[in-house]
Amino acid sequence: MTGGLQRVASTILLVGVSFLLTALILWVSGYRVGDVFSGVIQGSMTATGAATSSIRWAIPLLLIGMGVVIGFRAGFFNIGGQGQFYVGACSALVVTLGWRGGPAPLVVLCGTLAAVIAGLTWSLLPGYLRVRFGTDEVLTTLMMSFIGALVLQYLTAGPLRNPSGTGQTAASERIPEAFRITDSSGVSATVLLLVGGVAVLVWLLLERTRFGLAMTLVGRNPTMARWQGVDVRRVGLVNFALSGALAGLAGAVELYGPAGRLVTGFSPEVGFTAVVVALVGLLSVGGTVVAAVFFGGLQSAILFLPIVTDLPPPALVLLHGMVAFLVTVKFRAVRLRRTGPASEAPTG
Amino acid sequence: MEQILATTLRSAAPLVLVATAGVFAFRAGIFHLGLEGLMITGAFTTVAVAEATGSVELGILAAIGVCMALSAVYWWVIGPLGANVIIAGLGLTSIGLGGTAFALGAIFDRRGSLFTDVVLPRPVSGITSGPGVIVSEHSILVWLTPLIVLAAWVVLRRSRFGLRLAAAGEYPFAARTAGVNPSIMRLQALLIAGALCALGGAELSVGALHNFTENMTNGRGFIAFVAVIFGAWHPIGAAFAGLFFGFADAIGIQSQINITERVPREFVLMIPFVLTIFAVWLGGLWRRRSLEAEAGYAELREPDY
Repeated sequence: MTGGLQRVASTILLVGVSFLLTALILWVSGYRVGDVFSGVIQGSMTATGAATSSIRWAIPLLLIGMGVVIGFRAGFFNIGGQGQFYVGACSALVVTLGWRGGPAPLVVLCGTLAAVIAGLTWSLLPGYLRVRFGTDEVLTTLMMSFIGALVLQYLTAGPLRNPSGTGQTAASERIPEAFRITDSSGVSATVLLLVGGVAVLVWLLLERTRFGLAMTLVGRNPTMARWQGVDVRRVGLVNFALSGALAGLAGAVELYGPAGRLVTGFSPEVGFTAVVVALVGLLSVGGTVVAAVFFGGLQSAILFLPIVTDLPPPALVLLHGMVAFLVTVKFRAVRLRRTGPASEAPTG
Repeated sequence: MEQILATTLRSAAPLVLVATAGVFAFRAGIFHLGLEGLMITGAFTTVAVAEATGSVELGILAAIGVCMALSAVYWWVIGPLGANVIIAGLGLTSIGLGGTAFALGAIFDRRGSLFTDVVLPRPVSGITSGPGVIVSEHSILVWLTPLIVLAAWVVLRRSRFGLRLAAAGEYPFAARTAGVNPSIMRLQALLIAGALCALGGAELSVGALHNFTENMTNGRGFIAFVAVIFGAWHPIGAAFAGLFFGFADAIGIQSQINITERVPREFVLMIPFVLTIFAVWLGGLWRRRSLEAEAGYAELREPDY
């Protein structure tokens, strides 16, 4: 497994370089990097409630990131996690507010199911276009993501707006406390069991089933997969459905968990960060769990940091950008890919 | 009505400029999702330098310089270093959005926005009624935009450079045989795109407005990219697509002002995205080839893992 080790090492190196570059920018801007670093440690681990908060932010990243792992494994650039997450949360909210008198477990179950179906649908449309017509999924999932954000904006500013709410940002009504699966910390045994279970299931699917193998095959070489008897279209559709379902589920967990209501444009970076998480996790389930906790910790820290130093939240967006910018760099490419014109023959 | 048309021109100009940038990149076979990041960097740098030096020309020059430098780094990462075009592009966008918001705090000690008095000249202004309203109050960049689009058309469709660029983008193998280095062509296309994004950003901050605001591009870079696809990666087509999206934006703004409007603003804002999905789908059907089959695109978009 030297290849695997090499990849882990190069990823860690690239993430390290991204951090160094960001630290350099902070240093040039007059921040004391040491203070920021100690603030990050406190805000993600040692301060009261920091570890819980890290887990809370890791959960959506992990769920959406799992979807990204599934998508990218099969070579589908499903980058619409943000929109799938939003429509999932919106559907759960609609169900919950529409049936607020119902028995709590049933309502939450139905809401979660609605979220999963909404996310799945949001992902399946681009997926269908992709496998049926070869329509580029990068664009369509991105577009669906923007549309999803507008759906959220419409619902929170329009029909579901909290009428008694004041302030500039539109927010929905709160769901009744009985329907919450965590307190505002966002961590409870139910949620941890759910997320852990999902991770295990995804791992089993990808690493221990024929279907997971078929997905990986399709990702490596669709033509060869077809020759080996894989139904590429079916694999593609299921793949998109699973990615979307996980992102939708993340939306439901967010609503029933820490949020309790929806605010327009909440967690605006989570879909993109989940892509970063999956790539840093080398598209493996275990790696993604580690990366999700890591980036969840950073998210938690950035909210804590104002106590230690006045680092503004955009610094985190900058850092995520740096990591995404560099994480897919291939070291081997520098030399080995220059083997001559044969490597440039069209592959499509 | 005149007001809507005037707003259309003002909304469309930055979109068209950035879409032209996208066309250059697309011709070179690059799916440039970093446009948004470059655009906001251009907007910020213009305001920052203009405010510091008092000269809007210097501001724009600095913005062009910074955006071209970032584009060169982007080229280096996706070309020689073999990073994934899509992911690195999205990364570039985050760097731009996060970096400018961060710099606003670090350099000017501000949160949110930065106001400036130094703005672009407006050749025609002061007309408040009649059809003249349509052309009134536009910055010089709005007036220059059609010329820039025309120049892009000449360069892309009627010059040796444009032909080589297309070859490098569509069929790098053939380009190489003809003695063209696709990698260098990509660099040149990205540099031009960077400069155009800087102009688009500048129009947004010191042309239409008097300030820089965090996240002020608000997805315009992506809409511009959409215009590229919608306009079939032809400079004139992309410009008209940009104009159309500007029109949709203007209607959205109008319906926001006019509360009695029946259609919620969000649905109007969805139009470009929905249309794009259709356009990409139909485009794939008509061309009988998916975009992915584009050799130049495929060359840069091999699976990473």
